[in-house]
Amino acid sequence: MRTLSGIVALAVGAIFGTQVAAAEKIVRVWHTETEPQTIKAFNDIARRFEAKHPGVKIEAEGLAWGDLEGKIMASLAAGSPPELSHGQPITCTALQSKGLLLPLDDVVKSIGDANIWEQVRRVCNVGGKQYGLVHAAGTSLLIYRRDLAEKHGLKPPKTWADLVQAAKALTLDSNGDGRTDIYGISLPGDNLFINILLGELIKANGGQLFDNNNRPMLTDRKMIETLEFWRELARYAPPGWEGHGYLQTFQNLYGQKAAMMLAGYGRGAGMIEKFAPKDMANDKTFDVWVKPHGPSGSEPAAQVDEEPWMLFKEAKNTNEAVEFLKFFYQDDNYLEYIRTVPIHFFPITKSLRQSPAYRQTEMIQRWKGWLDAQEQYLEKDQGKPTLVVDWADMTDKPYLMEVLGSGILRDMVIDATVEKMEPQKAAEKAQKRLEDLMRSKGYLKR
Amino acid sequence: MADRGRTIEAPSTRAARAESGTWRLPEPVTGVLLLLPALLLLLLLTLYPVLYGAWISLFNKHSFFPEQSFVGVANYAAILSDVEFWASVRRGAVYSLTTIALQIVLGVGAAVLLNERFPGTNILRAIVIFPYVVPTVVAVIVWKWLLDSQFGLVNYVLQSTGVADHPISWMGRDWIMTSLILVSVWQFFPFVMIGVLARLQTIPLELYEAATVDGASALQRFWHVTLPQLKSVLFVIVLLRSIWMFTKFDTPWLMIQGGGAETYIRTLPVYTYLRTFAYYEAGLGSAMAVAMFMMLAAATAVYFRLWRRDESL
Repeated sequence: MRTLSGIVALAVGAIFGTQVAAAEKIVRVWHTETEPQTIKAFNDIARRFEAKHPGVKIEAEGLAWGDLEGKIMASLAAGSPPELSHGQPITCTALQSKGLLLPLDDVVKSIGDANIWEQVRRVCNVGGKQYGLVHAAGTSLLIYRRDLAEKHGLKPPKTWADLVQAAKALTLDSNGDGRTDIYGISLPGDNLFINILLGELIKANGGQLFDNNNRPMLTDRKMIETLEFWRELARYAPPGWEGHGYLQTFQNLYGQKAAMMLAGYGRGAGMIEKFAPKDMANDKTFDVWVKPHGPSGSEPAAQVDEEPWMLFKEAKNTNEAVEFLKFFYQDDNYLEYIRTVPIHFFPITKSLRQSPAYRQTEMIQRWKGWLDAQEQYLEKDQGKPTLVVDWADMTDKPYLMEVLGSGILRDMVIDATVEKMEPQKAAEKAQKRLEDLMRSKGYLKR
Repeated sequence: MADRGRTIEAPSTRAARAESGTWRLPEPVTGVLLLLPALLLLLLLTLYPVLYGAWISLFNKHSFFPEQSFVGVANYAAILSDVEFWASVRRGAVYSLTTIALQIVLGVGAAVLLNERFPGTNILRAIVIFPYVVPTVVAVIVWKWLLDSQFGLVNYVLQSTGVADHPISWMGRDWIMTSLILVSVWQFFPFVMIGVLARLQTIPLELYEAATVDGASALQRFWHVTLPQLKSVLFVIVLLRSIWMFTKFDTPWLMIQGGGAETYIRTLPVYTYLRTFAYYEAGLGSAMAVAMFMMLAAATAVYFRLWRRDESL
């Protein structure tokens, strides 16, 4: 009898437990911030939200950039997307154009419309609705070795030609053994960062990637000039730069193998503090210059690393997800998140940027110049998301995600630089491949 | 005429029924029924995806969204005229042929060595198998650290011993294929070694004794006794490794994650993946997969034919 009672109790317990679990609303969140301190801060915010909202559970997962887009697509195809996810701004507009996202206007309202940087409001904003809300913005930076530049009497480069000259001057045999041991510039070789840099450079040269009829403009003079510049600059990059990923480009800088970095980011300040020799780990040694413009351009351009939060229409608990985002952006929570990578996470809210608590963050005081440079790019609207040259591209060119993934632009750059192909030839080859892609997608008439 | 339409029972079935007085299915039918679940599962898990893949190769199909239109053989025409497709076939051929040749040489050499008895043979055999049991992701990450151009151990050793006078960019244009081959050979030669070692242990010693009596040197014994005896096992090993290396995806893919000159090791499986999951062209990607299958089938047929001709000699 006692055994039977035990079994019944267990069964009741199991059924009851299942019901409790079923009553719990799970908000799945995918993000691209994989640094341990950021994951911890995010999880802490999630736990506090759960404490205030019994019955809601936040399941956060940090994913590598390279894995995210494919995972989002697969989850959408399977009909089980997460509630919230980061993504490239161009992914956001591509998904919005297919009607897969819900607007985040309630979150915008809760933060305060006027409190959000104008630049950020333009990301994935379609028809006045905010379909993606940036978690934090960080612009690309031209980082340089101030000590070496001063020693060689270099002034901030205004044009690409100036930058090539600076790279040449900073390619050094520092120990006098007859071999170059410091190269002028660290360049990225992986697909994502070559695309990022190409988008930024073509804008700085007053050009475009596509015309209004979606025809690629790779053979345009401004693109050829860009490739010529890249080829010149690559002469002063460490050998094998085409095999350097994001982290290796930083490694070149703090490892004293390169004197400048064209596709640098605020995150690098943390790496410098961690890995560079102690006496060099400061902004007196590693400073930033405003990026130069091309021969056909007139102003600098930067890429803004600003993955927006996206809310998926097919997800189950979208209301809870919206509540979580409102909670996330509350000043105290948001500050905790921003402080995990303070020089790279530029807050999207003006109130936080101006708050004493934020300004007094130690690391921000140490690397103030780096943040001021980013603020300038944002304020002057010189920063755009990856491959976005004009804000209209966000909505008019929903194929940029495929262009990025295809690697065609990367191949063009590699052809023109590493393979020493004439820029015109490299551009023609890529133009044909890109036109084929655009035709197969139905964006370009056959 | 009276028997028309009736099942003719096997004598054994009739006897069994008469003996037990119960009805039983004929043995062949029972056999088929018992095989059926496994057969259905096999068809469902193997044949269906393959056929579905071949079917969607006839469509212009988005990889994730329900967007598709029938295009017939247009995808096949597109890949035939795609320069990048042929470049990836070429890279794949270089990669697979080189790694197979090196795996065979190293695997046979290691097997011959480990077939000898000396102190620590068993431990050494276990150690040599180690690369094959390490997960590919771990193997590649470790090798990428070792080959790091700035802080890697390989460059340090090469420079400090005077072999190289400057750091080699192992992940750059000139060396990334070599690095990939190095990692792959390191990882997969134990497979060859295991197969060959097993065969070596079954070669009758009398053959070697007879050869020694005839005055054959060690090299001659290897050439005229060992190698002919290894022929059948090498036939299978070369076939399997060729298929596996030509379709190898994980090792080259992991080599280019987070840095690595992708363009120069974009083999056919990698390009097929990119077409499917980066260009989001499932139809074209499937056409490439089918083309890859056809190439392997053709190469296998030629291989079998050559082998048969060789056997007849």
